[in-house]
Amino acid sequence: MVEERRILYEHLDVPDINTFDVFCQYDGYTRFEKAIAEYQPEDIAKMVMDSGLKGRGGAGFSTGLKWSFVPKDIKPCYLCCNADESEPGTFSNRYVLEKNPHLLIEGILICCYAMGIETTYIYIRGEFTLGKKMLDAAIKEAYEKGYLGENIRGTGLNVDIYSHPGAGAYICGEETGLIESLEGKRGQPRNKPPFPAVEGVFGKPTVVQNVETLCNLPFIVGNGVEWYTQMGPTYADTRANPPTPDPNTGTKLYCISGDVNEPGVYELDLGLTCTELIEVAGGLRGEEVKAVIPGGSSAPILTHYELDTRLDFTSLTLAKSMLGSGGIIVMNETRNIVDCLLNIMKFYAHESCGQCTPCRWGTPWVRDIVQRIADGEGRDSTITRPKFGIAENGRWGDTGETEEIYEDLDLLESVANNIANVDTMTWNTICVFGIAVSWPAVSYMRKFRPEFEAAIREGKLVTLPVAEATVPPEENYAYQQRFVPQEFADL
Amino acid sequence: MAFIKLDDLEVEVEDGTNIVEAARQHGIEVPHYCYHPGLSRPANCRMCLVEPHVFFPPAGAIVPDRQLATACTTVVRTAPPDRKLDGKYDFIVRTDSPRVKKAREDILEFLLVHHPLDCPVCDQAGECDLQDFSHRHGRDKSRYLEVKNVPPKKDLGPDVLLYSTRCIVCTRCIRFGEEVSGSGELGLVHRGSHDEIDIPRSHDGTPLQLLDNKLAGNVVDICPVGALISKDFLFKSRPWFLEQADSVCSGCSVGCNITVEYKADGVYRLKPRFHGDINQHWMCDDGRLGYHYVNSDDRLQLPLKRVDGELTPTHWADALTVIIEKLSEAEAADIVVIGSAQGTNEDNYVLQQFAHDVLETTQLGLFGQLPGEEHKFPQFTIEADKNPNTAGARTILGSANGNVVLEGDALWEKVSGAKVVYLVSGAPERPLEDAEKSALENADFLIVQDVLPSEVTQLADVVLPGTTFAEKDGTFTNSTGWVQRIRKTIDPPGEARVDWEITQQLAKQLGGDLNYHFAGEIALAIAENVPGYQDATHQHIGDAGIKLA
Repeated sequence: MVEERRILYEHLDVPDINTFDVFCQYDGYTRFEKAIAEYQPEDIAKMVMDSGLKGRGGAGFSTGLKWSFVPKDIKPCYLCCNADESEPGTFSNRYVLEKNPHLLIEGILICCYAMGIETTYIYIRGEFTLGKKMLDAAIKEAYEKGYLGENIRGTGLNVDIYSHPGAGAYICGEETGLIESLEGKRGQPRNKPPFPAVEGVFGKPTVVQNVETLCNLPFIVGNGVEWYTQMGPTYADTRANPPTPDPNTGTKLYCISGDVNEPGVYELDLGLTCTELIEVAGGLRGEEVKAVIPGGSSAPILTHYELDTRLDFTSLTLAKSMLGSGGIIVMNETRNIVDCLLNIMKFYAHESCGQCTPCRWGTPWVRDIVQRIADGEGRDSTITRPKFGIAENGRWGDTGETEEIYEDLDLLESVANNIANVDTMTWNTICVFGIAVSWPAVSYMRKFRPEFEAAIREGKLVTLPVAEATVPPEENYAYQQRFVPQEFADL
Repeated sequence: MAFIKLDDLEVEVEDGTNIVEAARQHGIEVPHYCYHPGLSRPANCRMCLVEPHVFFPPAGAIVPDRQLATACTTVVRTAPPDRKLDGKYDFIVRTDSPRVKKAREDILEFLLVHHPLDCPVCDQAGECDLQDFSHRHGRDKSRYLEVKNVPPKKDLGPDVLLYSTRCIVCTRCIRFGEEVSGSGELGLVHRGSHDEIDIPRSHDGTPLQLLDNKLAGNVVDICPVGALISKDFLFKSRPWFLEQADSVCSGCSVGCNITVEYKADGVYRLKPRFHGDINQHWMCDDGRLGYHYVNSDDRLQLPLKRVDGELTPTHWADALTVIIEKLSEAEAADIVVIGSAQGTNEDNYVLQQFAHDVLETTQLGLFGQLPGEEHKFPQFTIEADKNPNTAGARTILGSANGNVVLEGDALWEKVSGAKVVYLVSGAPERPLEDAEKSALENADFLIVQDVLPSEVTQLADVVLPGTTFAEKDGTFTNSTGWVQRIRKTIDPPGEARVDWEITQQLAKQLGGDLNYHFAGEIALAIAENVPGYQDATHQHIGDAGIKLA
């Protein structure tokens, strides 16, 4: 049985840990004191780089690498803490904000010290009223105790924190959408490049970090890189030549919901399998696992064939899914995947910011197609299209055979892929919202195609038994094989 | 200069040029909607996707980049020697690869999902980017079965209607309001597929601010589809029935480059034409909507002669005879010849020759519209001088030896003591100030050459029907010294004649040696005789105009 390893959440249940005094009793701010006493800013940046910390917000981008892109000679430079946690199935940041806000402030202080930043904006989700209240109280207290403001602890370090509530848009959790919203504009993502590290808030270099990422910093500084890298697996990145280490170090706040007996946030080492995680969360509620969403609603779904997939950034990327924000939703045999997809697509159609064409008009279209199928109004006409599989050259591609598919399923896949192509991982949109839409749409349809076909055939939602509802991996390219369209096959 | 490979072409382009412009310069069309050369680039339409090529080290080869890039935001720069592709190219891009073509088809499919396809009743049809690009790059059928969004039609302001159903949310109009006019009336309301362009409104839908600024009409021009429509042009004509001529706006001394669109029965609309040093891509609504007097039913079509206190239509020979009689009787010192800042350089040159050589008077005047208000915008200025050619007329009238050009009080003082006043006006609906009115009333015999009945013509003894900017060839000199061509589009109404021809006819009948056949000939004479205008021949001026030294 796997045990929880509580680091960020260690003192979460201590009464009044949100107050400065109690927080200090539990090593509060000692890691920051240690940072300014023992290390130069460059040392901290190097420690973060060496620790292999990956951004916990969703993309899993190396934090140290992100910091290294920030130009050192342009001031002011800003830190934006992304507390706009709005991915369906994710609820870990709100506990930090509501219960232990001083930990976040300490993480921010360490980041500010390392990067020479004097101003931090915490963009907090508008719905987190309690979190905002607690955070504001903690900020006020930190100012009073001399941990924020000018000349902190006599070191000459100045840090100001402003908390800014969002107004309720999912897309403001995207880093450039967040920046636009913070600047008082419509929350619409920017074109990249330039990336925020070069041109962010008010046109200045900006580090955008998730709450959880920042909360890791005190422990990396306090306990050292060696301690930190012991947790979680490190793989070799074979895409690089020669292969480079691809660390998935530290713990992750997994938000487990759905059909488990004890849903909640669990802090665990990275690299555990789905099965282990379900066990930690009190086991499955129901007979069988039908599907697992591994990283918030935008992540491609995993089937019962893939329950031994390790839940870390690298393994899930190889499985053509993603860890994302760590929002894990478990579904048992009673769940209908068409219905689940409809639910998710309704959310995305509502939340598309409408800035760029494919997403603005593609997302509601996808929703409408799924709605039609779920209503039993899917067209039962079929079309013949090339079948993809293991081709003659041994690679994944056009097999030369054809397959019959319901026209609406082909349409669903085609429209989703036109927003963002999940096979080539290219998107026609400005931000990755596009892929967050087409990923679930295409992966649900491909992996649970029998259930979609049954809904069209029967004219109503039909929940098939797990074994019948899923297409086995060897027959479907939604799994690990990388699909290469014919015209690019030679690259 | 950057050396790039554009499809199969090897071309040089300026550093900092984006791919849309680079391709346009070399005859390749990259379809786009949100990009406009005069505005910022949000790259939100995703129509201009192209395929850049990059060096891929593992393969040791140049391959198409993984992601397509928007051509509008992809800027070409000279690469350092070690970063050149294939040893020589600064950039390699394809605008015609299968991937690009598919992306265009896909985007067009999305754009047409909620578009009503009401081209048969749409004003934009025929000059619509959505129509053109769908035709050239799109698919022939839609796969969309669901119900289309039907956002309401909106009245945004005095001259602009919004057909929201046709809108593709490229946000050009919003950016225009923010960047060029600085007024920012337009914005997006709602979110996602319900995005709509709108003006600020209260909760019950009452407009709080209308799209009512002097540059508002430009949003109609830059709208790539038929969403923003000019009330002035609505349902007047199909654009393909209109002929076009490059010209210059006569509304003020800025001298905005325009295209006059016309049919045989009149001028239908004016559209701005790009000039990098004068008006960029824009023009103001005063100019844009100021052409209506050209088509007016009230236009002077016959010469008028005062008989028993009433202005009565007569024929040219009669009118000229009366004038000749008066002019021959009067002493040179008692004759005042007044040129027009609304007239072309050619009109004024012939007038000046007539005055100097034939009448032998050196006392000339300059007349034009009363000054208006100056309007400054972040990227545009409407000048207070409401005449297109004040600078040119002043120089040219005063170009001959000893000529004095009187303006304002000095002119009216002179006029009130004159025997014969020959006033070329051309300023439509010009009100008269008290001093002007009493001076003109005091003149013994007033000849007015004008286009519309006005307070000025009411005082005249003889009225000669002249022509507007749309009916003659010539040049205007704007306030910054640009000499630019205007071109004849429609025929003058009735028996109205080109102003310099009238003047020349008078000169001939008085024994003058003037014998020009067309405006270009006069421009040659101007080039020869007026200092600074050496190069200002029609041949040299061309479409772009020339700036005086």
